Amino acid sequence: MLLSTAKILHSAEPDPPSQNPARLTELSLEQLGDIEVTSVSKQPETVWQTAVAIHVITQEDIRRSGATSLPELLRLAPGVEVARIDSDHWAVGVRGFGDQFSKSLLVLIDGRSIYTPLFAGMYWPAHDTLIQDIDRIEVIRGPGGTIWGANAVNGVINIITKPTAATHGALVSVGGGSLDRGSVAVRYGGGDEGFSYRAYAKGINRGPEFHADGADFDGWWTAGAGARADWTRTGGDEVTLQGEVSRGDHGQRVSISTFSPPGLQPLDGALEAWGANLLGRWQKELPTGKGFRLQAYYDGTSWDAPHFAERRDTFDVDFLAHLTLARRHRVTWGGGARRSPSVFTPVVPTLDFSPREHTDTIAGGFLQDEIMLVRDRVWLTLGAKVEHNGDTGAEGLPSARILWTPAPSHTFWSSVTRAVRTPSRIERDLQQTTFSAFTPTAIGPVPVFIRVTGNDDFAPERLLGYEAGYRTRLAHELYLDVAAFHNQHDRLGSFDIGTITVETSPPPLHVLAGVHYVNGVDGTSDGFEVSPDWQLNPTWQVKGSYSFVKVDLATNPASVDVNAVSRYEGSSPHHQARLQVHATLPHRAELTTAYRYVSRLPALKIADYHTADARVAWRPVSDLELFVSGENLLQPYHTEFAHTPGPFVGIARSVFAGFTWTSRNAAP
Amino acid sequence: MVLLTAAVVTLLASSGADALQARSEYELKAAYLYSFGRFVEWPAGDPRASGDFIICVLGSDPFGPALDATVSGVTLRGRKVVGRRLSTAAGAADCHILFISASEERQLETIVGSLAQAGVLTVSDIPRFVGRGGMIQFVVSGGRVRFEIDLRPARDANLTLSSELLRVAAAVRPDREQRQ
Repeated sequence: MLLSTAKILHSAEPDPPSQNPARLTELSLEQLGDIEVTSVSKQPETVWQTAVAIHVITQEDIRRSGATSLPELLRLAPGVEVARIDSDHWAVGVRGFGDQFSKSLLVLIDGRSIYTPLFAGMYWPAHDTLIQDIDRIEVIRGPGGTIWGANAVNGVINIITKPTAATHGALVSVGGGSLDRGSVAVRYGGGDEGFSYRAYAKGINRGPEFHADGADFDGWWTAGAGARADWTRTGGDEVTLQGEVSRGDHGQRVSISTFSPPGLQPLDGALEAWGANLLGRWQKELPTGKGFRLQAYYDGTSWDAPHFAERRDTFDVDFLAHLTLARRHRVTWGGGARRSPSVFTPVVPTLDFSPREHTDTIAGGFLQDEIMLVRDRVWLTLGAKVEHNGDTGAEGLPSARILWTPAPSHTFWSSVTRAVRTPSRIERDLQQTTFSAFTPTAIGPVPVFIRVTGNDDFAPERLLGYEAGYRTRLAHELYLDVAAFHNQHDRLGSFDIGTITVETSPPPLHVLAGVHYVNGVDGTSDGFEVSPDWQLNPTWQVKGSYSFVKVDLATNPASVDVNAVSRYEGSSPHHQARLQVHATLPHRAELTTAYRYVSRLPALKIADYHTADARVAWRPVSDLELFVSGENLLQPYHTEFAHTPGPFVGIARSVFAGFTWTSRNAAP
Repeated sequence: MVLLTAAVVTLLASSGADALQARSEYELKAAYLYSFGRFVEWPAGDPRASGDFIICVLGSDPFGPALDATVSGVTLRGRKVVGRRLSTAAGAADCHILFISASEERQLETIVGSLAQAGVLTVSDIPRFVGRGGMIQFVVSGGRVRFEIDLRPARDANLTLSSELLRVAAAVRPDREQRQ
């Protein structure tokens, strides 16, 4: 109220000098250098000056990597574990806790969450956006609940596409290879200063990975089309409207339990995925350092798998505003609400949800103040979010961060943050029956099944994270980023044994051993990441990272799950290292090579592995790029994660070649 | 109400009188572009000498209205300052100052290479612009916009950068006469 009154009075003054941008031209260079830049925490900030372990994958990094899918791109960031399970499934974790269902990791594409409450994770093959449209990927390691809300526990990944003003003209990219068998993408954009647009269509057909038994069940295809329009007005208003539709068939092998013999059998089939989303955003920045952003989106998914089907509609609205008070306080506040009704349809009698229809709801608000404690040197950021979800009630997500820049090339930061992961539908509502064995009885062998049931009392998992980091410029173009963390985990999910019953219906007579989800595991995780980035000279660039994580958990007395601790501790690599060398060669050619090492996953019986990728590109003319890339080159195949059911899937050596043509005026 | 009015007046007095209040990044960068014009000498015999002083933005324009607002009604050495937007590097040699947008990063070497002798002051916020043939690179540090200078391409283009500019720069990359 006070501020809005002030603003009205202020603008009523006859052209006050400070409101006139031309006034800046009368300042000296030193004075210009003293003026503070406005920015919003939920918008891109200069990474250097952020009290968060953040790594930005730029469009140059993306292009040079040769990666053709989102999870493969995430390998570029330190602290992220990407394990390919088969051709169309990945386990992604940040600072441990890698899992096919990527729990505790939040991923957003242009502010739209692709985290599904069905299993609390990302279903990666359904989100195959146009790689050439990505402007950058911000990978935040560690909890980010104060801004991003529940489920931003171990990390937040923000995929941000380019504004349409950067994609005028035409783009055609065509490629083919041994794994990505065929890939076509076309884009066209245009516009003028006030209005700009683009539209794209793409399709990819990917083959299976290596299967020792020749069961090539994991081939898949996906196709999509989308459009975006941006309007900018001189008052500082920007309006964006964007939408996409997609369709894919994702091959997979699932195990189906049946009450009649044989009890358990593998089934190969495809998950038919449909997706559609529409997003609108209005943002306004005022020269006074005030601004806001209002965003709303719809996201619809329909998945028909060999063993289940789910249909989901998500509606989300989000508001964020920022202002600067007394030059020392940068205040950011906002709120949002989401409603996500879903329907589960059983396909086999042994996999069901109760209830089948469920609506996930979230509503919350946050306030954050970045206080400059010492001019240009020390900033303290305090914030809290209160978020209410329809299943488990309200959660408080506070954080405190401090940033110290003793000199322009040195930044120290530290933080304490609390985050929670809310239960997925699996943990609350699952009814899954899995064949275990036949047990001999007086009436002959009787099948024994394990029935996993969700638990309405399953509570949100909690994390209290302590982090510290240091960024420095060791030499003119040698940058080093170091971050370390200590996390306390409470109430992690595990199984508890329930009752044993005998059922006669459906026939035949069978024994059911009940198992349900409980919050039975607590403990800590510790680790650090070191990531140097060195531009030796205009020709050579070297980037690397080393990530260490050690998870140390214990089952609490209430739980009898003997596997949970080793599963959490042993499903993520302790050590990961990556080294990438990029060379700009004469005659518009370039060469990128990347080596990576991932240590073993004892819980999954996965050995450690080394492998390497390489990419050569040549631009005979400025509009055309020809490229050849090879992935996983050091061996015919290796395994990265366990596949259930059945034998391991070998992630195969692959080659991919193609071209990208951009019309003049178009920024690729 | 009296208290509220008093508070408002206090707030106005503290913020309105303060020319150094927070600005958007590109307002500041626009002001810098203009100021660079005051501290750089273009070679004598400049074919553009008789006309306007031209500040260009190549590629996707990050300034929005800030550049036009900055240059409207101002002069440099008696010349009218004009903002111009370019979608290709074709007309870039007509500019005194060329801001290269991040959208042009891929073509960066080609662009700066084609302008090496053209007497155009090249400015950008593309990471490592300085070192890739660019002359002045904006860096945002500590919530402030500063800049780094590479003297070699400036010398190659026969531009003279004043000592004042070099003094204020966050970093100056020296001009090594013989580079390998």
